This record gives sequence, C-alpha cells and structure tokens, in this order.
Amino acid sequence: MNVLRSQAFSVLRRPLCRRLATTRPFVPPAQLVFHDTLFAAGAKELDDNTVDALEAETNEREFEDDDFDANNSQDKAHPDSLNFYTGRSSYYDNIVELQNAISRTRGTLQRLHLLPLPEFAWKSLKPMPTVWKTPEEMTTDFETAMTISRYRKVTALLNELNEYLRIATTAGYADVAERIGSIISIFESGKKEAFLARGVRKPVQLDQYGRSYTFGKRKTSAARVWMIPVKPPSRQLGSDVNVEEAFGLSDKPRRPPVNVTVSTILINNLPIAEYFPQPVDRERIVRPLKIAGVLGKYNVFTIVRGGGTTGQSGAVAHGIAKGIFAHEPETGAILKRAKLLRRDPRMVERKKTGLAKARKRYTWVKR
Amino acid sequence: MHSLRLRLSNPVRFSFKFCKNCTRQLSQQAQGPLETENDWTDFQQTRTSLKTLMDAMSQYGSTQTSQWSLRDSLHRPTKDATLSALLASGAHFGHASSRMNPNFLPYAYGTRAGITLIDLDHTLPLLRRAAKVVRAVAANDGQIVFIGTRADIRPVVQKAAQRLGTQGFHVGDRWLPGTLTNKWQMFGHETVRSKRIVPDLVILLNPIQNMNAIQECALSNVPTIAIVDSNVDPRIVMYPIPANDESPRTAEIIAGVLSIAGREGIAIREAETQRMRMAVDSAWEDFNKMQVMQDTRQPQRSDAEAFDY
Repeated sequence: MNVLRSQAFSVLRRPLCRRLATTRPFVPPAQLVFHDTLFAAGAKELDDNTVDALEAETNEREFEDDDFDANNSQDKAHPDSLNFYTGRSSYYDNIVELQNAISRTRGTLQRLHLLPLPEFAWKSLKPMPTVWKTPEEMTTDFETAMTISRYRKVTALLNELNEYLRIATTAGYADVAERIGSIISIFESGKKEAFLARGVRKPVQLDQYGRSYTFGKRKTSAARVWMIPVKPPSRQLGSDVNVEEAFGLSDKPRRPPVNVTVSTILINNLPIAEYFPQPVDRERIVRPLKIAGVLGKYNVFTIVRGGGTTGQSGAVAHGIAKGIFAHEPETGAILKRAKLLRRDPRMVERKKTGLAKARKRYTWVKR
Repeated sequence: MHSLRLRLSNPVRFSFKFCKNCTRQLSQQAQGPLETENDWTDFQQTRTSLKTLMDAMSQYGSTQTSQWSLRDSLHRPTKDATLSALLASGAHFGHASSRMNPNFLPYAYGTRAGITLIDLDHTLPLLRRAAKVVRAVAANDGQIVFIGTRADIRPVVQKAAQRLGTQGFHVGDRWLPGTLTNKWQMFGHETVRSKRIVPDLVILLNPIQNMNAIQECALSNVPTIAIVDSNVDPRIVMYPIPANDESPRTAEIIAGVLSIAGREGIAIREAETQRMRMAVDSAWEDFNKMQVMQDTRQPQRSDAEAFDY
C-alpha cells in the first residue's frame, strides 16, 4: 500500500503536460480554417484519407485573394536569386556569372601583364574559331525565349571570354585557359567540329607509286585523274655528243645540259589530241600545268564521263589542278589566284514557264 | 657606355642604362610578332621590369595621400551623402521649368537657364529619412528591391542589392507588368506558396519609366522610395528623395547610402539574434545546472511515509 501511495504521489508531483517553447500559440476558434470535407466525412480525427482529400482540395482551389495571410508569411523563405523580380532569374543569373568571369579573368591577365595587348601581339594569337549554340539550344539553358537581342548580348560576352582564352593559351597559362574553357564549353555547340570542318579539303595522299588520285567536275561531267611524275631519262640529251669539240670551239663556256621531260596525257585511254580535236579544249586542259610551271613534269591518266566537250575538258582541268596541288603544295597560291582549284559552279539554267528558254522571251506582241 | 649611378640615401640603386634597355627592348618588340612561348615570356618580362622601374621611381615623386579612383562612387560609396558630393554629382539639376510639376514646388530652389534647380537642403534630410526606413526594414528581415532600368544605372542597382545579401533584389531591365498583381501566373503556384513574393520595400532610381511598378506597389501595399525629379509629382511614392534622376553619379550616391543603411540593419539584426541566442544559451545552462542539483539531492521523504501505520 505504501508503494502504491508513493507512486500516486510521484505522479501528481510530475507535470501533467510538458510546457515547451515549441508549443503552438493559442488560435481563437474563429480564425481556424474549417473545410467542408472534414464535416462531410464525419471524421472525428484526421486520418490519411481525409488529409489527402483536404490537400487535393487546397491544390485545386485558386487563391486569388491578396489579403490571404499565407501569401506573405514571415515563415516563408526569401527567393533564391538576386534577379527574382525580373521574372527571368535564370537568364540574368547566367549573364551576371559570365560578367563576373570576364572581370576576374581580365584582372588575372592584367596582373600577368598580358592585358592590354598591343596590336602586333593580337595578330600573333592563335586563331580559335568557336561555334556557339543556336538560340533554340540556349533557350533550354537560360529557361527563357532567346530573342535576337538577348542572344547577341550573350554571344558578345562569350566572344570576349574566348579572346581571353586565346591569350591565355597562346601565352602558355594552361590553368587559366582550363578555367575559361570550362565556362565556354557549356555554351559551345555540339556540332562545332562539323561546322568548322565545312569547306576544309582533305589533303590528297600520294599512293605507294607516288600517284595522286583526284576528282574534277564541270557542268555535268566528272573526271577521275591520276598523275605521276615523269621519270627523268637516265641519259641526258646532248651529254654524249660534244658538238663544241667537233667544231673546235671547246674553249667557249658550255651551257649546263637541260633536263627536259615530256608528259603524256591520256583521256579515256586516248591521247589528248585524239580525244579533244578542238584546240580550245586542249588549251583548257594544259592551262593548269602551264600556270604552275610543270608542263612536262607529270603524266596524266584520266577517265571522264558525262557532258560534252567543254564540260569534260573543264572537269579534266579541275582534276589536274587538284593533282598538281597534291604533288606540290607551294603552287596552291598561284592556282588559287587563277581560280583553277575552284569547281566552276555554272550549270545549265533551267527553262522557265512563259519563256521560250531560260532567258529567251517570246516575241512581244502589241495586241 | 658609362652608366650613371644615383647615389641615394636608401639602399635601392638604379642605373639609367636599365631604363634604356627596357625602352630599347620595347621598341624592338613593337615590330616583331610573337611566335613561340618564349617570345611571350620575354614580352611579359619586359613589361614587368618596366612596371617595377616605374613603381620604384614613383617613390621619388609626389606623395599621393588621396587614393580616390573614378569607380569609387560605384564600388565604395559613402555611408552619408554630403551637400558637396551631391552638388558635384549634379543632383541639383532638375528638368525644364516649363515641365515642372506644381507639387514639386516645396523642393524647388529656383530657376536658372530654363531649368528648375532642386533644393538640396530638402534632399539631405529626406535621404536620411529614407535611409532610416531601409535600415528598419532590413533589420526586420524585410525584402528590398532596387529598380533602375537604364543601362548606366544597371550596375548601381546590382551592387546595391548585393550589399543586402539574401534580402536584396534588383531589376535592371524592364519591370514586367503583373509581377506583383499577377504573381500566381508569373511565378507559378509552387513558388508563390513557398517563397515570399511581395517585397517589403521598393526603391526606384528612375520612377518615370517605372510607373507600372509604382502602381503595383501601391495596390500591394508596398512602401516605396524613389528619386523624384522636378517633372514628377512627389506624392506617387511614400518617401520621395528630390534629386536629379538622369545623373548616374547621383544615383550611385543615393543608392549607396540606402544600401549601406540596409546592410547596417542586417548587421543590427544579426547582433540582436546573437545576443538573444547567447542569453537563451546561458538561461538553458542555468536551468540544466538546477536540474542536476535537484537530481543529486537526497530524495525527500514524504509526510505520508513518515508514519508507519
């Protein structure tokens, strides 16, 4: 009995409910929010189903009232971004990040005495062409529609960063270059390599016998051209005959013997004179060899198909010019200036409706 | 070539031959392009040596006591604006007198050269009042938005917002109409429920271009501070600061004063929180000590147990 009594008394001594600092403050009943769902369910206590129903109802309802307390409760967090009230926080955050990166890099390069760079140093920088993402691709990055003005703003900043990257790489500061590169790579197009490789010709490789295989086109003709250097004759012309000695003029200074080779041009297995009876076509074919100064140096074998005389001779000339460039890259400049390496884009113009031919109009009739 | 050596009291010595070498190298380098990495290193070396020379020589020139830089008004603004600073920035230049708003008359000093001059004796106390408001709002964990929608004041509002940490925001481009009145559509339900959207104070540096923002703040019961010029009715905002709204230097001074006041408010709040935390901690310590003492005390025998029935 004593034990029971002591237990009872000790229970009375302890507080019936703990008063902690985290207890919710008293809310007058008039301010409590009651929902129809609660009464309809007839639930005395909130179980899972009622809670789910309540949540669903709350989510559906549109709280348009600006005086609603929960709109601006002090318990809610501040928005994350400094640019929240612009409505395009992601875009402006990225712009600010790029500007910060530019100013940091500029400071670093100034301390390394690489900025401001004089004119001659700018010209010495390694070219670093880049291709930025398209506006559509950037839309996902910035979470806002990339209008032309916004795209230009972003690309202007990226181009400036790219200039600093050029300076850092050329001067040999790999860590600085890597940091800039990591930022730039986010905005670089995935198709950069393909884009930059456009228009770049693959260099023609000579095969085991020293032959070049090139392709030429003009109008609707296509020519496959093989070129091989002519082997100089083992016996030089005029080396065995000593004419001066025969005439007794050996004291005169002799000219050095000229190593003259003769090239053969075969087109569809026929010699050039046979395949192209017109001198115009022959001139056209030989012109690249004359301009490059290698008239007797290479033997040419061609297979040409399609088109007529002009087209076929033009195609062969194009192929020969490319072949000369493959054997002697130094001739590239002069062949380019003569426009021989260029595939002539002129094609037969189509006939139009209402016209007799491409350009020819029918006779004008007054009435 | 005989090199001149300066005999000086301090141990650093120079030779003019050194200068000549530098300039010769520089002029030589001006012609040649830089091909290898060594060329670049030499280029940097020349510049570094020239800079070292200039730095060393500069100690023999005049002593510069003031370290003022042109960008100081943006990056290192002052806590209080002075009359001379406002005058120097051109804060007293209003717009054309023909365009003066009649409600602006109390703040006008007079007319000169066809423009209204603003009385800076009114500007200073109103600026201080606005600063007090900013400090109080910031001290109560309020959100403050700086709006400056011109290209020259865009960096000003950005810097001002950065000074307020998590409580500072800025709008440097257009204020989208409906930011406050159409927030459910603009920001989405999730954001409006979880974050505080309506700010506690809005500061406008060019109110004429942002009448939409002023209207929305009025509808949402947000207090506003703005730089009002002579062609503006000062009653459109709660705390007008009469000054030139077209001068970027004036905007830098005013935004600087207000943002520094806000930073002070945050520091006050932080100090207060720290003090309260320490007070609570010490109170808990005392409470725990008391508990320990009670537990270690001998258990009292109740009167009921005293008698053995």
